[in-house]
Amino acid sequence: MNAVESRLEHIRGRVAPKSHNARTIAALTSNPGCARRAIMDAAGVDKQRLAAYSGFPAPFGQSQFAITRGNAFEAQVKANGCAELLRLLREHLGLSIPEVSYDDLNDVGGNTGLVVRHVRTRSLLARAVNSGSDAGTLFDHPLLRLQVAGRPVFLEPDLIAFQLGGRFHVVEIKSFAVIDGQADGDKVAAAVIQSAVYVHALRELLAGHGMAEDAVADEVVLVCPENFSNAPTAALLDVRKQLTVLRRQLARLASIESLLDVLPADLTFDLGMDDDGVPSRSPAELRDAIFTVDARYAPECLASCEMCFLCRHEAQGRTETLGREVRDELGAIDSIAAVLGLADGTLAPADDQAEAAGLLRAAARLRRECTGEAA
Amino acid sequence: MTAEMEALERRMDSLQAEVRRAMVAGDRDLARALRAELNECRSQWEASLTELEGQAPEPAGSHGAQGPILPVREQVHQVLTLLGAPAAPKLVIAIHDALFAGLLPGARLTSLRRDEERSFRSAPYARPYYICAALTAELLSPARGLLAVSTWPMDRRIVGPLSPRVDFLTAAIRVAERFRDLYRGNSGVSPESRRLLWRFAANIPRAAQSASTINPDEIIVAARAELAVHERADSEQRAESALRARAQLDDAEQLFGTGLRLSRLTSADG
Ligand code: SF4
Repeated sequence: MNAVESRLEHIRGRVAPKSHNARTIAALTSNPGCARRAIMDAAGVDKQRLAAYSGFPAPFGQSQFAITRGNAFEAQVKANGCAELLRLLREHLGLSIPEVSYDDLNDVGGNTGLVVRHVRTRSLLARAVNSGSDAGTLFDHPLLRLQVAGRPVFLEPDLIAFQLGGRFHVVEIKSFAVIDGQADGDKVAAAVIQSAVYVHALRELLAGHGMAEDAVADEVVLVCPENFSNAPTAALLDVRKQLTVLRRQLARLASIESLLDVLPADLTFDLGMDDDGVPSRSPAELRDAIFTVDARYAPECLASCEMCFLCRHEAQGRTETLGREVRDELGAIDSIAAVLGLADGTLAPADDQAEAAGLLRAAARLRRECTGEAA
Repeated sequence: MTAEMEALERRMDSLQAEVRRAMVAGDRDLARALRAELNECRSQWEASLTELEGQAPEPAGSHGAQGPILPVREQVHQVLTLLGAPAAPKLVIAIHDALFAGLLPGARLTSLRRDEERSFRSAPYARPYYICAALTAELLSPARGLLAVSTWPMDRRIVGPLSPRVDFLTAAIRVAERFRDLYRGNSGVSPESRRLLWRFAANIPRAAQSASTINPDEIIVAARAELAVHERADSEQRAESALRARAQLDDAEQLFGTGLRLSRLTSADG
């Protein structure tokens, strides 16, 4: 274990690391500048749990019900040799009749170890590429790997279909409904960015076998239940835009080492579990530990990060709670009280605040004129 | 299972005590978090309990109204014999419910293969047949979630990449034939069996227009047509693996598969 790994391990505490998945990577790209999140994710901290024990439980988390429903729908679509899925791929995407080959990558000879499955995935996909038509069409739960923040992350798309127009297609199976051709926009957007993560990971894998990017389609297949029934339907979604964002942000993710350098050597988020798994560390102490790592709160965090209530609480009274745009506009002024003081002239601006202060005073005057308030 | 539950019970006890302590100390944050954890434990415990329930023997007479009840393994055998191909427990249950009398308790299927293996290992071949595993073509390991019958020829119990589709089409043909016989014999066609047939037909090209116009002969023709496309390549793969299985595996392994052997994995991966 190298120095960085052992430090991350100490930060995580005495629990197994929480593994990344496409959802957490997709979320990661939504606030790439936040060191707190980067450290926690790199260390594999269970943020949901940490947030709860620090007194600010996350407002979300996938419900057990949703997970069960999702798994049941996926199992249904894949049952009997992927009978329903094959029909969809044939009807909507022109998959030819002989293309029915199915490889189960959920385990390798009963072994569900990640590394074994990844090795097997690599060899089957490489074989499919090299020998062309008759070496595999449907790959069930292949295990891909991606470097995120300098650490390898295993990723498991629902399915990869090959030979659909001579290319690999990522197939994502989701249990939210499509009604009259319409689905919840947020859910579709989340599915698209997750699928983009898989497309990216699959391209990285194939690049290692000398394959060009276009071996993997930048359109993904989304399978959802249709119109209040359990009957699945499929649609092709373009993920090019999300891929660009993802690539840029993965590259921008600051290397963890430099973030670690500024943190106290004894920093840990260990919950102090006793033998029965009951945490003994006090919430206040945990909060102090969390606050040692800089955050960059934005209202978007509320939809994407488990630590959001804690960070919002911490950022109270500061301009970032008003959104990134406002914060950027206000540049060097970071507290809301200061903003108000500069606007009504009760506070004298520092040198680097002069320009913003001028604008604020002008805005305050305009507002008074509009609302008819006395000056 | 019970050891796991006992550990959960101990953990629940301690958590409960901690929740109370945190409440008394006025630490609401901690109490709330601990309670969430406690709830989590409780639902895990409930889930284990449900699983235990599935493993317990059926109370006598619980199917009284359904006529004589065969042991689960015989019910499964009946269905698999009709299908003539390895099948997942879900399909076995659906077919049993639609085409056979009595109820097949689904929860009992989860442990069936394990029980059969135990029985075979303690007294090999004491029974005329065993419900066993299908084997994956490349690694000869038990295929995830498939049931098969020990008296079938080896190649029928092997599943290669094309086999899931081939077996699905084979099952469709067998079910359609059975449906046709029931229909001819005028012994009444239940809505369940019609629905079951539609589930096959809907996923085979040109097998049926709609659930109401479903016709077993059309399904058979359509399934055979697609089967003809895959059959040869599939049976070649299966035969080759069957040879290997017979040469490399002992009797129990031939029925229930073998765990991952690294040497085999690396040689298979080339
Ligand atoms: S909620 Fe906090 S830790 Fe999470 S991304 Fe936002 S600022 Fe960073």
